[in-house]
Amino acid sequence: MGPAPAGEQPRGAAGEQEVMETALEGTGKEKKKASSRKRVRAGSPTESLLLQPPKLSRAELYKEPTNEELNRLRETEILFHSSLLRLQVEELLKEVRLSEKKKDRIDAFLKEVNQRIKKVPSIPEAELTDQSWLPAEVRVPLHQVPYNVKGSFCFLPPTQVTVVGSYLLGTCIRPDINVDMALTMPREILQDKDGLNQRYFRKRALYLAHLAYHLAQDPLFGSVRFSYTNGCHLKPLLLLRPHGKDEHLVTVRLHICPPLDFFRPCRLLPNKNNVRSAWYLGQSPPEGGSPEPPTPHYNTWILQDTAMESHAQLLSAVLGSALGLKDGVALLKVWLRQRELDKGLGGFNGFIVSMLVAFLVSTRKIHTTMSGYQVLRSVLQFLATTDLTVNGISLCFSSDPSLPALADFSQAFPVVFLDSSGRLNLCADVTASTYHQVQHEARLSMALLDSKADDGFQLLLMTPKPMIRAFDHILHLRPLSRLQAACHRLKLWPELQDNGGDYVSAVLGPLTTLLEQGLGSRLHLLAHSRLPVPEWDISQDPPKHKDSGTLTLGLLLQPEALTSVLELGPEADQPEAAGFRQFWGSRSELRRFQDGAIREAVVWEAASLSQKRLIPHQVVTHLLALHADIPDTCIHYVGGFLDALIQDLKETSSTGEEALTVVVRCYDELSRLLWGLEGLPLTVSAVQGAHPVLRYTEVFPPAPVRPAFSFYELLRERASLLPRPDKPCPAYVEPMTVVCHLEGSGQWPQDAEAVRRVRAAFQLRLAELLTQQHNLRCRATATHTDVLKDGFVFRIRVAYQREPQILKEVRSPEGMISLRDTPASLRLERDTRLLPLLTSALHGLQQQHPAFSSVARLVKRWVHAQLLGEEFTDESLDLVAASLFLRPEPFTPPSSPQVGFLRFLSLVSTFDWKNNPLIVNLNNELTVEEQVEIRSSFLAARTRLPVMVIITPQDRKGSVWTQDGPSAQILQQLMIVAAKALPVLEKQLTDPRGPGDIRTVFRPPLDMYDVLIHLSPRHIPRHRQAVDCPAASFCRGLLNEPGPSSMMPVLGYDPPQLYLAQLRAAFGDLALFFYDQHGGQVIGVLWRPASFQPQPFKASSTKGRMAVSQGGQLVTVPNVEAILEDFAVLGEGLVQSVEARSERWTV
Amino acid sequence: MVARSKKGAARDSVAIPSPPGYTAIPIKFSEKQQASHYLYVKEHRVREGTQSAWPEKCTLFVLNVPPYCTEECLSRLLSPCGPIKSVELQEKPDLTESPKEPESKFFQAKRVPGFQVAYVVFQKPSGVAAALNLKGPLLVSTGSHPVKSGVHKWISDYKDAVPDPEALREEVDTFMEAYDRKIAEEESKAKEEEGVPDEEGWVTVTRRGRRPVLPRTEAASLRVLEREKRKRARKELLNFYAWQHRETKMEHLAQLRKKFEEDKQRIELMRAQRKFRPY
Repeated sequence: MGPAPAGEQPRGAAGEQEVMETALEGTGKEKKKASSRKRVRAGSPTESLLLQPPKLSRAELYKEPTNEELNRLRETEILFHSSLLRLQVEELLKEVRLSEKKKDRIDAFLKEVNQRIKKVPSIPEAELTDQSWLPAEVRVPLHQVPYNVKGSFCFLPPTQVTVVGSYLLGTCIRPDINVDMALTMPREILQDKDGLNQRYFRKRALYLAHLAYHLAQDPLFGSVRFSYTNGCHLKPLLLLRPHGKDEHLVTVRLHICPPLDFFRPCRLLPNKNNVRSAWYLGQSPPEGGSPEPPTPHYNTWILQDTAMESHAQLLSAVLGSALGLKDGVALLKVWLRQRELDKGLGGFNGFIVSMLVAFLVSTRKIHTTMSGYQVLRSVLQFLATTDLTVNGISLCFSSDPSLPALADFSQAFPVVFLDSSGRLNLCADVTASTYHQVQHEARLSMALLDSKADDGFQLLLMTPKPMIRAFDHILHLRPLSRLQAACHRLKLWPELQDNGGDYVSAVLGPLTTLLEQGLGSRLHLLAHSRLPVPEWDISQDPPKHKDSGTLTLGLLLQPEALTSVLELGPEADQPEAAGFRQFWGSRSELRRFQDGAIREAVVWEAASLSQKRLIPHQVVTHLLALHADIPDTCIHYVGGFLDALIQDLKETSSTGEEALTVVVRCYDELSRLLWGLEGLPLTVSAVQGAHPVLRYTEVFPPAPVRPAFSFYELLRERASLLPRPDKPCPAYVEPMTVVCHLEGSGQWPQDAEAVRRVRAAFQLRLAELLTQQHNLRCRATATHTDVLKDGFVFRIRVAYQREPQILKEVRSPEGMISLRDTPASLRLERDTRLLPLLTSALHGLQQQHPAFSSVARLVKRWVHAQLLGEEFTDESLDLVAASLFLRPEPFTPPSSPQVGFLRFLSLVSTFDWKNNPLIVNLNNELTVEEQVEIRSSFLAARTRLPVMVIITPQDRKGSVWTQDGPSAQILQQLMIVAAKALPVLEKQLTDPRGPGDIRTVFRPPLDMYDVLIHLSPRHIPRHRQAVDCPAASFCRGLLNEPGPSSMMPVLGYDPPQLYLAQLRAAFGDLALFFYDQHGGQVIGVLWRPASFQPQPFKASSTKGRMAVSQGGQLVTVPNVEAILEDFAVLGEGLVQSVEARSERWTV
Repeated sequence: MVARSKKGAARDSVAIPSPPGYTAIPIKFSEKQQASHYLYVKEHRVREGTQSAWPEKCTLFVLNVPPYCTEECLSRLLSPCGPIKSVELQEKPDLTESPKEPESKFFQAKRVPGFQVAYVVFQKPSGVAAALNLKGPLLVSTGSHPVKSGVHKWISDYKDAVPDPEALREEVDTFMEAYDRKIAEEESKAKEEEGVPDEEGWVTVTRRGRRPVLPRTEAASLRVLEREKRKRARKELLNFYAWQHRETKMEHLAQLRKKFEEDKQRIELMRAQRKFRPY
């Protein structure tokens, strides 16, 4: 007895810190010991990760403010939205900015580069086609197709080397620090008419190749490689990286420019042709044939080179002295980067954004004194409200009549933003869908900023939005070479000529337009990935177009339009009908509609909601095959792979929404019967569902039960079926709880026991009346009445509104009656008040977002499959799934199970449960102020709250659904598994060759368990629901046709659950048990380390332990051998084998 | 005599260590099991002056009864030691009088048994002594008296749990009759006492009188306090004196400072979690 209290003492005296930790470490007392020991070593770091209410003394709070402080406060109020945001922005900028020290190192490197470039020797003149002077170690970084071209080339050192771009402006951001250097070619190299037929680009490439050869021999550089300017494959550039440890410090990009005023701007207008068909196609010009097509992109690429310096000057003039603008540009770059918008050909890159800021400054929408946050906001506001695909903008304000009109540009380019010369379109390569994506993102971000959410910064700037997580469905086109054929099919020869043979960018615009038109109202947004910019060694040929990865398209769907299977066309006699027929090809049919109209229409085959969700797949496949000659083998559509996991057991075409609707309809009928029931002493005032099925979130919806009597033992006098020991376990039927409220009455007794009796009497009466009036099979117990209706079993619970209050009443000695929460009252309130409210709120959510059901079910399926399901209440997981729809920022609410599930994984793996409550704002009932209030009271009460706190409008303080778990360890485990599953699943889904085995992330890791108990499938009623669906299972005593008479089927009989209940009751102090209720065949057992410490003998804690003498002292340890045998004894018939995997208890 | 036999038992079971005062008796489910659990038994004794529901000297206190061992089973296992009056299984040792009123089987949720403690009352004290000398291993389930476990047990449990509405109705009716009688009695008693002063001359005022009073509940008294408070607040002038102005300003500033402090803490936390790297 002696040592126990002595050991207890210091632990208890550890202080308040202990209280805090225990609350978070969970309910398990045994963990306390381990964690307190850990804390001694780890000390404060873990502690500092926890937010605490600020502690400021009165004197500090109320001291006279200094001028400085007042100024800062005022500035914060005016320039930023809140002080938190200001601090966050400052921190972020600190993180992405280059440090002075690094800048010095980069400057030194640049100086060296400059000198080396000047020293490159010149070579004598040679024909452009004669490239024999080029050493074999270096290849020309350009596809020279067609090879023959006029002109000659010689190398002379550049006349001018200048640094341009973001490095000088100080707006370049980590992690990829690039310094752009513009090298001006001497005029002697160029000849007249070099703008024609890629001659200029050939010279540029040769110039670069020669430069590369000489620089590569220099030991100063760690690597010398080629790449493309913004992915444009006619414009290679040279990448130089320092040698040694600075290799990743900086990348210097060498751009080649023509001398100033070499090209006549009027020759490079968008409607001019500079690539002759005769040369490009290798044919003699047709006699008096069609005029040469304009080459706007080609012209722009030349213009870009000429304007490089003037752009740099303009930007440094605007941004030069204004710190706020620079901050703003840096923030915008981060914003674009997180959305993967800035990279690749046609990306909305940092340069365009900087120019946009310059534009807004010139139109006085941005002032130079604005803060970075305000600049970000203004630019987003501008983007959100201005559609550059309709109305272009220009930085040029001169009214020179020789300048081309904006309309000329609009004809040639989808997006128009002219620079200050009025001749160059800065957004020439940006496709319409890229710009729409930018606009969409800007709109979302503005909504987020306006909502004043306090995690706005995180969502806006710190949350990456990879395509797979941002779009409902994505599709890969592979191999890219297929697009070449598509180009020809779509007759895009002029575009090919313009793009110098780059069929991917040539076809991108028409392809997206085609799909947008085809998907019509189903589509919210179509985006395409921008191909990554390749980088290659100078001794290699430039990569071919087809090698540049895959083209990925992302579809954001419109949930409302998804349910329709019909594409309604014009009436048959209208002239548009021909166009419709041409567009849809063989799928278009003439149909007569109910209103008598005869119309062209396309009907897609889809029976269930999951198939309807995949209609876009049919549309895309059909249209691409029809118009672009891309067969379906080249289209890899990622949208419904995860559906397999929540599919019905029998039919594989539905993900269960239909089955759930059938049950809900049956429930509606039952509630109507209850409303109209005659002869009940009190009338029914409300019928509310309280079961996952009735909020569409039951993983496997129930099927109507039609028992085969021969399979059961009959209990005739009570019309019930019983399981038989000699047969496999019968099918699992879970009664669906329905709460039935009765009208108020003063006749109810005011004593808790008596109320229970009266309720029981009501249950009996209910059963009687339902049998009499509606001929339903009923079975009443003291707490509920089970009703069999159409093969579904409902469990009706009569509730009395005042009962929780009666249970709460406490009479003080003075006779004052006060209300105190008791476990019984809380449970009753939860079951009869909160659960129905939640169920109806989520039922409503399902009506708004049809994907909610499948997402929630997938989520639960996964958590259960990880064997962690029993630690979480069903409701808490439903609420987490609901939060994905109610607060989707920075995304839009998911419209497919796949994207919802991915976001769940990312939410769970990143959410900081310690410091934040998850606010699930059902029906938008909580105002912003209330949410702020909730957050602050959360911080103050953190120690008393459960580990995982979920707040709903109905439950603002307590977090009812997470009150009894999970413990901190289980939550941690869930976070770990989710963090591991997310990248695996994303990789599988984005792999254009196919996802492989999609069930990988659903299989639990079993190596962490100490003991595995293998169960026999014979007695697992839900065996067929297993993740890896068994090829064969046992007959469960069901018929396909309705049986002759109705008998109450076996309800809630699930041997694994009964077994687990016994295990937990007997060994809950010694071990944790993990099981997947959906057909799991194994129970994982984890010994609790603390209970395996030898403990002194106490009469109150001898459960399953045995006394041993250890070192002369008598202590108790768990009797492991006997316990392992007990596992088999308790589960006789169910347990196949008990496998002890670790020897951890023999310490 | 009891003390000596205990010592003897302790000496005999050297192989099985047992805590002081207790005797360990191995117990197994059946012949097939290799390892066994240990029952720790001793004579039930309480401190002087404490009430106990079980008779002293005749009661055996048993710790660590495995979950598959029922009351009948324990009674059978210990009956060779002497005639047994009663066996009671409980979740934990409980010295005070246990609630002996018969629990309704309809209104009491069935408990899933874990390891339990037992109080076995023998008819004679000699039974206790004999039990303390038991060697074991005791077998819970034998060929002649099989104990159901696993699937068989669950099926029979399910069968037992199928409700019998008639019995339930009967029980409800009897209870409610008794309850109504009790309430009626109380009411008539209250009516009799209405307006009758007690020995010190106080009259109890109830809600049933001619002029009902406020119910004595916390909610009601809170409501009254709240009303008072509101009344007072209405009369108060807030923007009257200069110091009030000053103070509201100061209060605002203090709020801002507090918020700032909180924000700084948040930032610190985010920095620690490396939440400022957008890559």
